[in-house]
Amino acid sequence: MTVEVLAGLSRPIIMGVLLGGLYALIALGLSIVFGVMKLINVAHGDLMIFGAYFAYALMTTWGIDPILSLTMGIPLWFGLGFAIQKYVMSRAFGISMEAPLIIAFGISLILQSLTQIIWSPYSRGLEAPYALGGISLGITSVPKTYLLSFIAALVVMLVLREFLRRSYLGKAIVAASQDKRGAELVGINTGRVYAFAFAIAMATAAIAGVFFGLTFPFTPTSGVGFLVIAFGVIIIGGLGSMLGTFIGGIVLGLTQTLSGYFLGAAAQMLFVYLIVFVVLAVRPQGMFGR
Amino acid sequence: MKVPINQLKLMLPVVLVAVLAIFPIIGTPRVWLLYLFLFFVYLTMANMWNLLAGYSGLTFLGPGALIGLAGYTLVIVTWNDLPFYLGIIGGGIVAAAFAALIAVPTFRMRGIYFAIGTLVVPEALRYVFYLWKPVGGEMQGGGAGYMIKGIGGLSLTEFYWLALAIGIVSIFLMRIILRSKLGLGLAAIHDSDRAAASSGVDVFRLKLYAFVIAAFVTGAAGAIFYIYQGYIAPVSAFNIRWLMICLLATVIGGIGTEEGPIVGTIIVVFLHFLLARYGALSLLIQGAILVVIMLLVPGGIVGLVRRKTRNYQSLLKLAAGR
Amino acid sequence: MERHSQEMSQDALLKISNIDAFYGTFQALWDVSLVVKPGEIVALIGSNASGKSTLINTISGVIHPAQGTIEFGGRDISALDPFQIVTLGISQVPEGRRIFPEMTILDNLMLGSYNRQARANREQNLKKVYEHFPLLEERTKQLAKTLSGGEQQMLVIGRGLMSDPKLMLFDEISLGLAPKVTDELYKAVREIRAKGITILLVEQNVRRSIKEADRAYIIKAGRIVLGKNVAELQEEEIKQAYFGV
Repeated sequence: MTVEVLAGLSRPIIMGVLLGGLYALIALGLSIVFGVMKLINVAHGDLMIFGAYFAYALMTTWGIDPILSLTMGIPLWFGLGFAIQKYVMSRAFGISMEAPLIIAFGISLILQSLTQIIWSPYSRGLEAPYALGGISLGITSVPKTYLLSFIAALVVMLVLREFLRRSYLGKAIVAASQDKRGAELVGINTGRVYAFAFAIAMATAAIAGVFFGLTFPFTPTSGVGFLVIAFGVIIIGGLGSMLGTFIGGIVLGLTQTLSGYFLGAAAQMLFVYLIVFVVLAVRPQGMFGR
Repeated sequence: MKVPINQLKLMLPVVLVAVLAIFPIIGTPRVWLLYLFLFFVYLTMANMWNLLAGYSGLTFLGPGALIGLAGYTLVIVTWNDLPFYLGIIGGGIVAAAFAALIAVPTFRMRGIYFAIGTLVVPEALRYVFYLWKPVGGEMQGGGAGYMIKGIGGLSLTEFYWLALAIGIVSIFLMRIILRSKLGLGLAAIHDSDRAAASSGVDVFRLKLYAFVIAAFVTGAAGAIFYIYQGYIAPVSAFNIRWLMICLLATVIGGIGTEEGPIVGTIIVVFLHFLLARYGALSLLIQGAILVVIMLLVPGGIVGLVRRKTRNYQSLLKLAAGR
Repeated sequence: MERHSQEMSQDALLKISNIDAFYGTFQALWDVSLVVKPGEIVALIGSNASGKSTLINTISGVIHPAQGTIEFGGRDISALDPFQIVTLGISQVPEGRRIFPEMTILDNLMLGSYNRQARANREQNLKKVYEHFPLLEERTKQLAKTLSGGEQQMLVIGRGLMSDPKLMLFDEISLGLAPKVTDELYKAVREIRAKGITILLVEQNVRRSIKEADRAYIIKAGRIVLGKNVAELQEEEIKQAYFGV
């Protein structure tokens, strides 16, 4: 391998890793909900994009900085998540196996239509002056937004990990995900714990939405693609470990940038989907799964 | 002369079909024909989806894949100057073959993984058909779209009959399968994969049969749809809206019931016409309906009716001497 | 058939009256009545699938009876959620050693005190648990899944103690364990009773349950067929009720 090839590869590799951080952040909410409640929230991507639109609304109406808008976005999304789990999903669990899936689908559809009605199908983007342009990382330069997203992902995941490990509620959430009946018998109100887990997942979706929106343009239907990516991340990285989720994100990020580098931009998403499908078929519990 | 109940039961559907068949000839309004066209196409898809999700434990979220593939097969067939009905059959075959292909990896995925795995498939195909141009020539729409050739001489009457035919086929198929040995096996699988397997049911084989059959019929229906629409483009061919149609029709009507898709499709097509001009709002309402129905009336309309008339039904059975 | 005298029911801590319980359409308990008085050890004896675990789960609120009442300290708990029942003072040591495998012993135990009432006494209760099972203190930072079967059972019992229970339900704690280990476990059970906690235990091993309990109920195919003081139980009666056609 010549030095030039290596030097040429360095950019897609670095970009892939940074992108992977963002993907991990996006996948986090899905991972929590799936890990705790064994529910694939198919509306996850749409809820995240909805978060991006919310920040967009604040930005265009009052000029509020997107990251700053999270001070409103996070509590709102937290409350939304709590309500959805407590009043809708918990009921769905009791109805049938497919019910939560179908209802999440309905929610996904509602969100997509809502955002389309309010903000039209044209693509939007979030902007912040400090996020414009690139930043040099030694060998190559990357867009600032990529770096910001990566850092945000790191911070959120660390905070979440500590919360789950050290706080009583966090431990209860972990316990409920390991053994629901055992948790009930020990006096844990699993209904409330589930609601909190969903709320936390939604809060991370709000954060992911803002950073995603700063990095890429989005449309009302962007959510579905990211559901697949998020699912891919947790399939590859397995459940139950932050590190796994992070690695899963990086694997997908690298797949995308490297296939884009070698095969052209059009092929990159196809390869990402292909990898997700293959891993699903070969090892549904993920590489790092329990 | 008193007609015995059994003979009546047999004659009624035949009469109904005959009446429906002559609709185009007797000057029925165009809108009605259109409505019925869509009804039978969607009904076929809903029936097949119900067969998988409602009776075989396969929550298949990728009907768009089958329909899109069938549509593109139609394109290939007609662009090679072959008659369109070969395109319909070809579409069915390609869809069935594809189903058989992905059956191997996807059946290994349990429950929810299967659902998501099958969700990924149409998305991936969408990208494939952006990149791959199966036939040369002019594009339609925003790029990567194709006109369907060789259908210039057809009118709504022919489309209608095609749809009627496949719709009836799907109903018959449901009746036959559900009462056959295959149906019995599927019912066991739907209840529990493991229990069925330990009772000696070849789970994989039966699921495969159901999947391939459903794929063939769904593909054929899709091809018929595209014959009517006249063009196809990746963004809409593999779209989630096919899943929405199947989902909505089956859920509103009643999953896992034979009559469910029929009732549900009536409503779905009605909604389609009612809300057509409202674009995104129509989707919003459909999504809301899905959520509300699933929460309040999970058994769908058929389920609701059955529950309410349970006593009445047993009385009827008693009176009929069964 | 069990006949309850009025005096017996009077000062009962737990009183189950004529409950039916279903799994879907399958009826698992038929007209079950039993009583546990404060300070007692009561054994529930029965073969596999006789309904023992169903009864325990019904008391804990995992299943709700279709008919009848369950009274604890005079209050009807048959409609409550499992976590509420724990808060009231009933703690179940479930069968199958349901630990939280990926969490430390300490975390497992601490979660036992999750409900608000028990949190105040957390540290005290932890000390008590360590007294019963010193090994848990030694290994307290280890992951629960690294423990042996017997040790895991100790963990579950300890966890059950952390919720400050008045009544403890033991579901097959000796299952799959060697006799020596079981001896240790039952020594702990006796110590727990000595501290004033009432115990209802389910045991496959008939001899063992008779040895430890004051009174015993025999359950067969979802019905209570016998209920007596252990001292008055005849061998023949047990065999008949357990195995008889």
